[in-house]
Amino acid sequence: MSGKLVTTGVLIAGLVAGAASGWYTLQRGMVQGEVYSGWSGSKVTGSVDADPWTRARVAVSGLLALNKSQAIYFSRNTDDSGARLREDCRYRVTGGVLPARWWSITVYAADNYLPLNDDDALSFDQTEAQPDGKSEWTGILSPIRPDGQPWASTSKAGNYDITLRLYQPTPQAQADYAAIPMPKVTKLDCGGAA
Amino acid sequence: MNRKLKLLALFVGAAIVGHVGLVMAVPHAIMNVAMNRISGDGARINQFSFGPRTTKDSRGVVRPSPDLAYASCVYDLSKGPLLVSAAPSPNQGYVSLSAFAANTDNIAALDTTQYPQGIRFVLARKGQPVPAGVQVVESPSDKGIILDRRLAPTAELFAEIDQARRADSCAPLAQS
Repeated sequence: MSGKLVTTGVLIAGLVAGAASGWYTLQRGMVQGEVYSGWSGSKVTGSVDADPWTRARVAVSGLLALNKSQAIYFSRNTDDSGARLREDCRYRVTGGVLPARWWSITVYAADNYLPLNDDDALSFDQTEAQPDGKSEWTGILSPIRPDGQPWASTSKAGNYDITLRLYQPTPQAQADYAAIPMPKVTKLDCGGAA
Repeated sequence: MNRKLKLLALFVGAAIVGHVGLVMAVPHAIMNVAMNRISGDGARINQFSFGPRTTKDSRGVVRPSPDLAYASCVYDLSKGPLLVSAAPSPNQGYVSLSAFAANTDNIAALDTTQYPQGIRFVLARKGQPVPAGVQVVESPSDKGIILDRRLAPTAELFAEIDQARRADSCAPLAQS
């Protein structure tokens, strides 16, 4: 094999390997970045200050995301025990007052789109999840509609994750994500074992 | 040995170029795909398109929120600035206008908490002439996307805000 051919081959192999590693990096979706009580989020999502990797990751799995002055996004694919969220399990999501004008929690399938079910319950939000006497709200993630509780359906969601949106977050929340009282995600049961 | 080391250095160098090149190119490529989809392959530039209620079948842009109503405008500033405006929702619910450059950066986000009577700004490239007394957002690229987001978690609310957002404008200054 001629020296020129070898050099060209090595060059192409390097470019392909580099591009492949770049693509692999971008496939990890929104569940990466700094972690706050199990929720992943980035302070530079949507920002002009985002590094090239964050910008590319957001383009792949969160295109047209707002910067933190308007919305903060957190995602997770595990419950509070660290176990992967499963379509056939029920989870209780609980939280207190969140430092934003409005919030929502939405289920996303692995392809970064909404799950292909007909439950018309792809998320629950602040208008549904009313606080109780202890100022705590509760929502349910499950494949079957619960009785009288805010619900996001996980039917046909596969290996899903959930995204918490905080719209118009307070200045303190924008400055210190660690101070945000993040909702808890607790597994109740699996496979209809309630 | 010397030759092997040179080839190894070439491989590593090419891998870095391939990695960084792909990471830098992806936002522009994905944004181009989104702009083509939203504008109907360029048929609707500098005008708002009003999306239907978000459902499981909403596949235009990743991670849509089912609680929000979206209207979008693919902009092109090559022939001059645009006047962009959005009317408030009748229930005083959340409304925002956000502008995204061709590299996906969110270059501006204005909402009806700041502007309860409606949002209005001129979008221009640096150096383009703009009228005095109007808020100006400078875009680093000729092309990009403007997004109107409105809180509409139910079908009833969606119907209400759908009427209000039809007054949105995203048009060249000369036509405004």
